[in-house]
Amino acid sequence: HAQTTALRGAVVAASTGEGLPGVSVQVIGSNTAAQTDAAGKFSLNVPSGSQLRFSYIGYTEQVIVLQSNQSYLEVRLDEQENALDEVVVTALNISKEKKSLGYSIQEVKGTDLSEAKESNLVNSLAGKVAGVQVTNSQGNMGSSRIIIRGETSIAGNNQPLFVIDGTPVDNSQLGTSGNRDYANAISDINSEDIESMSVLKGPNAAALYGSRAAAGVILITTKSGSKRKGLGISINSNNTFERVAVLPDYQNVFGQGADGKFSYVDGKGGGINDGVDESWGPKMDGRLIPQFYSNGEAVPFLPHPDNVRSFFGTGRTLNNGIAITDATDKIDYRFSYNNSNQTGIVPNSSIEKNNFNLNTSYKITPDLTLTANANYVRTNSGNLPGVGGFRSNGYMLQFTWFGRQVDVNRLKNYRDADGNLVNWNNSYYSNPYFIAEENIVQQQRDRIFGNVGLNYKINDFLTANFRSGNDYYTDRRKIRIAYGTNGTPFGSYEEDAYTVNENNTEFTLNYNQPLSADFRLDILAGGNIRSQSRQRNDQKAPRLAVPDVYTLANSRDALVSLGEYSSLKTYSLFSSAQIGFKNYAFLNLTARNDWSSTLPVDNLSYFYPSVNASIVLSEAFALQSDVLSYWKLRGGWSKVGKDTDPYNLIDSYIFSAPYSDSPQLTVNDIKKNPDLKPETTTSAEIGTELALFDNRLRLDVSIYDINSINQILSVDVSPSTGYKKQLVNAGKINNKGIEVQLGLTPLRKNDFQWDVNVNFSSNKSRVVELDEAGDLQSYTIGSSGSAQVLASVGQPYGMLYGTAFLRDGDGRIVVDANGIPTTDPVNHYFGKFTPDWLGGITNSFRYKDFDLSFLIDIKHGGKIYSGTNATGTGTGVLASTLPGRDAEHGGLSYTVGDVTYDDGIIVDGVNADGSENAKIVSAQQYYKARYRTNEPNVFDASYVKLREVKLGYHLPNRWISKIGLQSASFALVARNLWIIHKNAPNIDPETAFNTGNAQGLESLQLPTTRSIGFNLNVKF
Amino acid sequence: CKDDLAEINKNPNEAETPQPAYLLTSTIKTTADSYWGVSNNLASSLLFVQHWARIQYTDPDRYIFTNNDFTDGWSTWYSKSISQLKIIQSLAENSGNDNYKGVALVLQSWIFSLLTDAYGEIPYTQAGNIDEFLTPAYDTQETVYKGLLNDLKMAQGLLNTDSEGIAGDILYGGDITSWKHFANALRLRFALRIADRLPDLAKSTLAEITTEGAGYITSNAENARLIYEDAPYRNPVSSSFEAREDYRVSKTIIDKLRALNDPRLAVYADTTQTATPEQYIGVPNGLTSSDASNLGFARTSRPGTYFRDPHAPAVILSYAEVLFGLSEAVSRGFITGDATDFYQQAIRASLAQYNISNELIVSYLQQEEVQFDPQQYKKSIGEQKWIALYGQGLEAFAEWRRLDYPQLTPAVAGVLGGKIPLRFLYPGTEQSLNGKSYGEAIARQGSNTLLTKLWFDVE
Repeated sequence: HAQTTALRGAVVAASTGEGLPGVSVQVIGSNTAAQTDAAGKFSLNVPSGSQLRFSYIGYTEQVIVLQSNQSYLEVRLDEQENALDEVVVTALNISKEKKSLGYSIQEVKGTDLSEAKESNLVNSLAGKVAGVQVTNSQGNMGSSRIIIRGETSIAGNNQPLFVIDGTPVDNSQLGTSGNRDYANAISDINSEDIESMSVLKGPNAAALYGSRAAAGVILITTKSGSKRKGLGISINSNNTFERVAVLPDYQNVFGQGADGKFSYVDGKGGGINDGVDESWGPKMDGRLIPQFYSNGEAVPFLPHPDNVRSFFGTGRTLNNGIAITDATDKIDYRFSYNNSNQTGIVPNSSIEKNNFNLNTSYKITPDLTLTANANYVRTNSGNLPGVGGFRSNGYMLQFTWFGRQVDVNRLKNYRDADGNLVNWNNSYYSNPYFIAEENIVQQQRDRIFGNVGLNYKINDFLTANFRSGNDYYTDRRKIRIAYGTNGTPFGSYEEDAYTVNENNTEFTLNYNQPLSADFRLDILAGGNIRSQSRQRNDQKAPRLAVPDVYTLANSRDALVSLGEYSSLKTYSLFSSAQIGFKNYAFLNLTARNDWSSTLPVDNLSYFYPSVNASIVLSEAFALQSDVLSYWKLRGGWSKVGKDTDPYNLIDSYIFSAPYSDSPQLTVNDIKKNPDLKPETTTSAEIGTELALFDNRLRLDVSIYDINSINQILSVDVSPSTGYKKQLVNAGKINNKGIEVQLGLTPLRKNDFQWDVNVNFSSNKSRVVELDEAGDLQSYTIGSSGSAQVLASVGQPYGMLYGTAFLRDGDGRIVVDANGIPTTDPVNHYFGKFTPDWLGGITNSFRYKDFDLSFLIDIKHGGKIYSGTNATGTGTGVLASTLPGRDAEHGGLSYTVGDVTYDDGIIVDGVNADGSENAKIVSAQQYYKARYRTNEPNVFDASYVKLREVKLGYHLPNRWISKIGLQSASFALVARNLWIIHKNAPNIDPETAFNTGNAQGLESLQLPTTRSIGFNLNVKF
Repeated sequence: CKDDLAEINKNPNEAETPQPAYLLTSTIKTTADSYWGVSNNLASSLLFVQHWARIQYTDPDRYIFTNNDFTDGWSTWYSKSISQLKIIQSLAENSGNDNYKGVALVLQSWIFSLLTDAYGEIPYTQAGNIDEFLTPAYDTQETVYKGLLNDLKMAQGLLNTDSEGIAGDILYGGDITSWKHFANALRLRFALRIADRLPDLAKSTLAEITTEGAGYITSNAENARLIYEDAPYRNPVSSSFEAREDYRVSKTIIDKLRALNDPRLAVYADTTQTATPEQYIGVPNGLTSSDASNLGFARTSRPGTYFRDPHAPAVILSYAEVLFGLSEAVSRGFITGDATDFYQQAIRASLAQYNISNELIVSYLQQEEVQFDPQQYKKSIGEQKWIALYGQGLEAFAEWRRLDYPQLTPAVAGVLGGKIPLRFLYPGTEQSLNGKSYGEAIARQGSNTLLTKLWFDVE
């Protein structure tokens, strides 16, 4: 007999560190076996040196060889990937076996979202799901855009529908045209409450959600109540610190002024070029020049290389939450509270969020269950950072039109002893600290969303479900501009308030019955009523009567007011059926008819079906082997109809306040259309899922082809038609693409596991047609100055279009009589903003109780027009404007009158007559020409980013159980740590004005941030 | 259920049935804002004719523009002004109110003339009719002006003091007689605009006006002008100066006014903020930003307070202009009369427009340099009209091109090889939105540059 040892131990889930109950622990080669208890603990007498097998459904089995005299063992089980019986949440919150689906779906676990937290939930999907493109607008407090499988609608919303526990929730970005980048509404969601997110790509997956699902669906399942272990309380604390990651590369040789001259008197033209907010001034070589702080005294003119960087502080996000959960036979609940407190890198900017969530179900009888999910979220911002080119509060506007010698630290006290405002320039800008402190925008969003449901099991085959979900919020903004702000001398005050409500009430019947030993039938039929209303009330006092009092009544002028109300309603009937054969072949059919209030009476009813099928070849043909674990083929076709926005049918006239005593009506810019038909998107998709070598290699590939026709476009027309836009029912756009997910487990040992997850996607779009007659060749998606983003017939979606240098037949720049490059009167295409491909690589390592993972996020291709580069070139603040500015930097010498200059440049180009250009121009003139033309400011927008790094440590169960803890883990987390590679100078190429379709344009972006912090999770 | 759904989709925010009076008010207001505003006036035509100059950011004063810089007029005048005036006309036809139709036609003719004088060939016959023409063809200036004279003749016939009146008229308060005078004043303006090209049509037009007998604008009280109100309906110049200090009075006009001892100098310009011996100092047009800045904001003259006042009028057509027009029409032999007398009356009217005393007017008119020279009527009228049109950049720009007086020296650091712009650029968006028609216009008229000469501009 071998000696036996009393072995104690614990089995925990590798991902959470929580004990796993009911795990089977077996001594290989004997009958000795045990199961773990509710806390995941076990004890067993085993022969020393024996092998133990730990197995548990849904987790990868582990075999461990005991060391002699080992008396305690802690085992971490990994969740099984791509297992045959993997269950995913699909449309209408119905869980289905993944193998039965004929379309692509990808799930992200809650822990992957919550450890390295993002203040905007959307950001945490970047690089993690094939086919998903996330663009963070700018800074770290604003909006983020998410697109799945490219833009399928030329003019409409291209972002997916968000659904939480079966109820659609709003992800609008309200008020995108102002000077703040308000966060999109889904950022209200607390990632701690998320159990999992399913990404349903393309309309194939989503026929059951109706119109809005044409661009895909993101299904969020929140954590629900479960039988508690210990006290059932978990606490999470996440604290991160943010610093500026990308700033333009500034020059530190020449200071403020023009033509090399500068002297400060009053900052608005009183001195020599002191009203000029550019850096074409004298060399910063310590020469003595009066400056803004020196009271007329000549002081050394010196560079301050970090002057912009030092304006931005360290941001801080404190995120603390608690959750309580328990369950009995009749009732279960989970309650959570989370507080997030963020201060931005811009002085005086902050956002606070308080989330309350209650998720509960109650079995009224064994067959009748009541479920309720309620959330209250209050988002409160003391001040959101100003973005873009607004004089009253655009920081990067001022820093790009800047004197490079300015020491911002001398601006911190923005009033002098007499109370007058102090700034380096007084003709355009106000002191940046003044605008940060006084020109503030407050935002408060109060949101209640959730649903109640009743589930009645009529018999073993038939279930009835009723659910009513509501999402209601008010979003109020108070926008202040202080007295004395340059350009707005009397200041202003505006209150902008939105109220949004959406209700979805749904009834479904579900019939699920084995038809025979081989066939199973699962039928669902139901109806939905969706009502949505939105209200906006905006009031503005354009000039304040007295300073510092921010009420609407404190106005010099009549208030400017705007009120908008809109509502829509959709009735739907839908049905889906799944026929399963022998648990390895499945056919899925769906059908839906919508009746939408937004369409003309004759066209408001529209029907759309889908069909898809899947077969698990490895099962069907018994192909399983040591090499092949799993092989599935799938394919499908689907169609989605789409309505339009309210009030698009009849021409209307806009009221404005009376002039003299006469009321005013103005024609709407958009010519409406009484004959609109629903848009139609059809999609075909095939794919395969493959697992090899005991699931250590997992591959999922999809190919799709999506056509959107009859698009409802508000197309730009020549104003000479009498309108700026016309609503047409035309437009065809095609998207084709491929998505690949590859999972690898190169190493799998008890103590060590290495996983690699790679995703790759490539989408090609083509605008096929804009109108049937072919009159329209381009649709303007957006513009910034003279640079436009177009959907042009025959071209990919989102082409950048604008002014270029005039060139001769050999491609050489043609200069004018003064030797300055000329602009071609014909605009040019510069390429599309959409990427050629996207990729993400996650490497995760687990060694004993440590986890390390890092995510590399790649965007390849696509162009961006950079307003920062254009402006910074024109103002001479960028390092790229140094060449030619003096002899030291290669400038040529030339003489005007009796003065000799050394900042000459001969543009490499030809004269209008074809002869070689020999004219010398000043560097300032040359760079100004580059500023005015779009072409030199269009860049490749590719990037490779180290998006996320996590180093986690799970405290061993044996330690923590002694102090009454169920689990405890600590992680160091970092987001956006490093831009490994980019081609666009001076900016982060991942940027946007807002979440709309007008992407590929950058102007004076707030710097992106990198964040580093830690996450602590403790369960009692 | 379909009816319920249709009911939900009834627009609660905007009117579905327009009122002609309310449309008329907003049309006049919107058009005037753009006509008197930054893009068409301050940052372009007022600089070209050297009424004003830039003291900072001097690019437009050096004729540096992109094809995005002239979108405002094109976009506003077509998609707001013309569009609304067409709607007013169709409402008037349905209701039988000829006076609304007449007023709308007068305003529409004025606006088309702003467009064609600025850009050259423009959509006219197919403009503002989106149901039929999604890509309107461009018409030659000849077609446009012939059409406009026809439209105005029709308007003159429609306008009737005995018929049902109009409301919402913030130009003339519903006074149809004044509208008839304004219509004829525009016909006089247009007849002279084409005088070098179609003298017979010009002459016959003036003959028709005489025959019809309604007459022209009779006094400064009848000037076609919008008087602005308090914010937010302030004069655009006032708004501009509240936000920035981009403009000063041009050295060209200050020097000219000083040379003529012109009492309008004190109205057109402010004394320098920092006291200077000259009191009024103009800024040469088209300096580099640095050179302009060196002159100093405080040591150069802003436009006069008369023009920077929130309530300052946007003048569309003045009594003085009518009189200059009659003087020229006599000089050209289109009508009979005393050209010198009309010329002197015109100057009187212009000075009186700014409340200058009769004594000063008399002594001004006695000066040698102010005398009318019938042999060089273009010079006499051109120079005095240029002064009288101060602030009306677009009209001054058109008349300077047509009369070739006063002879202006191009911008100091101009980029057009020593030339002054002769037109605005078509907006870049026309290339993508109405490419074929645009291409045809360019082929006829010449490339889309600032120096392409327009049809009415013969010399």
